[in-house]
Amino acid sequence: MEMLIKIAHNYYYMVAILLFVIGMHTMLTHSNLIKKVIAMNIMDTSVFLMFVATGYTYGGAAPIVTAPANEVLYVNPLPGSLMLTGIVVAVSITAYALSLVVKIYRYYGTVDYDEICLIRSRE
Amino acid sequence: MELTNHFPALILAILLGISFLSPILYRWARKASAPALIASLFLALVMAVYLLVQVLQVGEFTYYMGGWPPPWGIEFKVNLLRVYMLLIVLAVSLWIMVYALKDLEHELKTEVMGWYYTLYALVVGSMAGMALTNDLFNLFVLMEICAISACAIISIKEDRACLEASFKYLILSAMGTGCFLLGVAMIYMVTGQMNYDLVNAALPEAVELYPNNMFAAAALFIVAFGTKAALFPLHVWLPDAHASAPSPSSAMLSGLVIKIYAFALFIMFYQLFPRSLLESIPLNEIVLWLSSMGIMFGSIFAMVQVDLKKMLAYSSIGQIGYVFLGIGLDDIIAMTGGFYHLLVHAIMKSMLFMCAGIIIYTTGIRQIKQLGGIGQVLPITMIAFTIGSASMIGIPGTGGLISKWYLALGALEIGRPIFVVIILASSLLNAVYYMPIIVNAFMQQEQFQHQVKPVPRKMLIPLIVGMAAIIFFGVFSRPAIVLLDEALALFF
Amino acid sequence: MDEATAITVILVVIFFPIIMTPILMSVSDRSEKLRDILAVVTSAITFLLVLTLYPFVVRGGIVQHTFFEILPNLEISIRLDVLSFSLTAIASFIWLLSTIYSIDYMAKEHGGSRYYPVLMFTLGSCLGIFLAGDFFTLFVFFELMSLISYILVVHEETEEALKAGYKYLVMTIIGGLALFFGIIITFELGGTVSFGVGSIIEEGTLIAFLAFMCFLIGFGMKAGMFPLHVWLPDAHPVAPSPASALLSGVMLKTGAYGLFRVIFNAFSIEVMQTNNWDIVLGVLAVITILLGSAVALTQNDLKRRLAYSSVGMMGYVLLGLSVLNENAIIGAVFHIFCHAIMKSCLFLAAGAIIWKTGKRTISELGSIGREMPFTMACFSIAALAMIGIPPLSGFLSKWTLGLGALDANATFYVIVLLISSLLNALYYLPIIVPAFFEMVGDEEQGHALKLSVQDVPPKMLAPMIILAIFTVIFGLSPINVPFDLSQMTSDFLLKGGWF
Repeated sequence: MEMLIKIAHNYYYMVAILLFVIGMHTMLTHSNLIKKVIAMNIMDTSVFLMFVATGYTYGGAAPIVTAPANEVLYVNPLPGSLMLTGIVVAVSITAYALSLVVKIYRYYGTVDYDEICLIRSRE
Repeated sequence: MELTNHFPALILAILLGISFLSPILYRWARKASAPALIASLFLALVMAVYLLVQVLQVGEFTYYMGGWPPPWGIEFKVNLLRVYMLLIVLAVSLWIMVYALKDLEHELKTEVMGWYYTLYALVVGSMAGMALTNDLFNLFVLMEICAISACAIISIKEDRACLEASFKYLILSAMGTGCFLLGVAMIYMVTGQMNYDLVNAALPEAVELYPNNMFAAAALFIVAFGTKAALFPLHVWLPDAHASAPSPSSAMLSGLVIKIYAFALFIMFYQLFPRSLLESIPLNEIVLWLSSMGIMFGSIFAMVQVDLKKMLAYSSIGQIGYVFLGIGLDDIIAMTGGFYHLLVHAIMKSMLFMCAGIIIYTTGIRQIKQLGGIGQVLPITMIAFTIGSASMIGIPGTGGLISKWYLALGALEIGRPIFVVIILASSLLNAVYYMPIIVNAFMQQEQFQHQVKPVPRKMLIPLIVGMAAIIFFGVFSRPAIVLLDEALALFF
Repeated sequence: MDEATAITVILVVIFFPIIMTPILMSVSDRSEKLRDILAVVTSAITFLLVLTLYPFVVRGGIVQHTFFEILPNLEISIRLDVLSFSLTAIASFIWLLSTIYSIDYMAKEHGGSRYYPVLMFTLGSCLGIFLAGDFFTLFVFFELMSLISYILVVHEETEEALKAGYKYLVMTIIGGLALFFGIIITFELGGTVSFGVGSIIEEGTLIAFLAFMCFLIGFGMKAGMFPLHVWLPDAHPVAPSPASALLSGVMLKTGAYGLFRVIFNAFSIEVMQTNNWDIVLGVLAVITILLGSAVALTQNDLKRRLAYSSVGMMGYVLLGLSVLNENAIIGAVFHIFCHAIMKSCLFLAAGAIIWKTGKRTISELGSIGREMPFTMACFSIAALAMIGIPPLSGFLSKWTLGLGALDANATFYVIVLLISSLLNALYYLPIIVPAFFEMVGDEEQGHALKLSVQDVPPKMLAPMIILAIFTVIFGLSPINVPFDLSQMTSDFLLKGGWF
């Protein structure tokens, strides 16, 4: 019972972990290359979600200082800004991965990983 | 002088700077682009040597980026072990680049050479940063830079094999990064810090309240760094990636990139996590047994390969197992052996890949069984190959013996002679697949049948330097060992 | 001669042949005659320099000098005592004779430009083994010598030679790894691997036994001990004959020397006897002796028979090492001298026969004594010494070993020695007797002995004759320098073998 209450309070984290596992599983098992890239994005996004959710302070205000009124409680801005960097990193990896997929399609004629392995083993 | 205080950041800045400038130089001042890269690598190396001198005089010191102290700013820590890694990274990459100048002309299309310099400088710069950084998120960023550029120096060759290998490497690397970031999230959640030392200080109390986070983070780190450093069984991307890449990239990847992640794992276990974690869960045992299996399986798979570069790649899996064995044995003598092996293997595997590259450049041969009698036409190359293989097997007089000596001594110190048997068995397996190549190369009755282009001198000079270095580190190993002892004593 | 001169001489003796190797390689391209002369000069200078150390050693002088520390507590050092000197002297002597012999032998063969430099390099590393001052230096030179002598084994580059060479290489590497294991356990248990301290390991714990077994595997493999002798009957015959003489005559002794150092410097006589490890060595020695001699009977190829004979003879040395009393050690060391001289003579003679007539199998050797009387005379003298006929040197070594066995109340060993002498006779006499006394195609003309001498040239004959003469002299004659050296060695080793 206590466990369920804890889960209910921290549902952000549970969803994040769920998305992480979905992403990792898809990345490793599905053979379509585009799906792998999408799954990689889902996995990274889930970690960003986790991080940002960590920063949230219940009852806090947005972390912008507007003088002269100073709130007592702010949401932690640090994870958010860190994750901006993380999102940039994920985007660049996605861009590179997709360009690789385009090139692979040009050379192999397919974006299915199992077929590519068959073609490579025949060479 | 004021400038010398900023050397840690300057090393990174110079390398990132040349990586941005290279395409511009290549487009408008083609002749200057290669010398500019060499000059900047050399400059970075000089700065690293200065840092070494500084650390030997002053001891450990830190550098704050932009003057902002942690926890607001990113901290670079400079101590003996990090400077050791930095020197290895910069020196070996400079050495490989000298070889690469000539070799790339026939492996890559001319218009992309400038981009290769960019990627190379990015790999080197990110590895230098990873050696120095003291902040988890900075490590993540640098790790990602390294991952993209490492994949890119494989796929820049643009043939069928390397594209698929590069994509596989990218996906698995991204999986590793995802795990790493989740681990960082776990740690940040309970400590609120990103700096290694601050996390180390804050973890003991955090663990009281939330014990599982740290275990989860430790497990995720092993998966993350294991994937990137090709720890068995997460090594599956390595043979294709290293075999299909252009030879300088193979040398760089096998020699340096997988090592820096092993180093990062070491820092995680010994600087980030408190000592009580390592004692409460047998993380070392896991790394120990996985590395032993990697050592054995790497050698066993290497024996059945027909392609020369793929055999060298599988051999790398075995050799990185030695470094992890040093970390896993949790004894300062074994760690000395593991880190010395890091140095020696960087030199010898890069040299072996360079020999393979020269063979492919001059004759176009990649299959081992076609290498009969090649010792008569490429004597210096095959002598370098012989010395590299001798070091892999552990013949006295070469650096390989020293690292095996220390690893075996460490295994005996903690009373586990089974690992000495594993080390020796893998030496024997190494001999089984390296010796036939050398014997066939020199002893073949028939003349070598294929066309041979002459070997450019720029490609031979790095080989000679490499041979001298292996024998130097085999005979005059004392300075490096003493330095490593002092460096590792900080962590115990 | 003082210590500093001795150290210089030792360094020159080890490194001069190694330095001459590249010089020989470059000279080969220009003039073959110059290369031959240079090789002989190199080995002659080395031998003479070794001889100059004799007065120093006989006085009881000992050199233990460290050059530098390669790792903390691990040094590269050299050592000169009676044991090292004995082996160095006999090694350089046989090497000189083999090099002189090689000049004419290799003139008919190919690959001379590879042969002489490798020969010299192996000489330097072999002397390095004998003059090493600690186990690590010994290991370094041991590996060097083993790997470079591979080139001598596969010199002919026939398929048979390559197969034998591959077997040799694999077993060498396995032996080297076992040695590494043994040395590292010794370092771990004792803190040092130098020969200059007393016994390094004092207690016979399980892990010390593991070290002993590893040393036994490593050095025993080199010395041709059962069951690791399997490379020997393939590798020694396929090498060119002067190289076979060196492989059988000198390089097997490096394994025996290693075992000497293990027994006396890594452990000590007390440790060996308290833990009954000497019995292990004894059993292996007996099997080696009987197996080597017995299988030699079945061989038809001349050099293969000699190779198996070497296996048996090295068993004698191991036997002496297992009994471990004064007479036994004298017998073991003296047998090293004798066997080196006798077996080299035998291999050189066999090589002469092959060189001159191309005959390799024993059944073809009938009446060859009439064509090549001097060669067969040397062969016969050496073979009779092997059997143990007095007053030749072989008799003296067997006698001393037998005395040692009786002193230790091990009559069984004496019986083994006698059986092995009988077997030796059974496989040598069928070579010698038909060579001189067989009538091949001469039945119609009666029993007149017709000598049609077409013997080998003097450069090949002289070394054989010198060796045969020494076989006679070092028997029961009063000027028996090796026997005196053996007695000094035994005294030295029984007193501890290190100071």
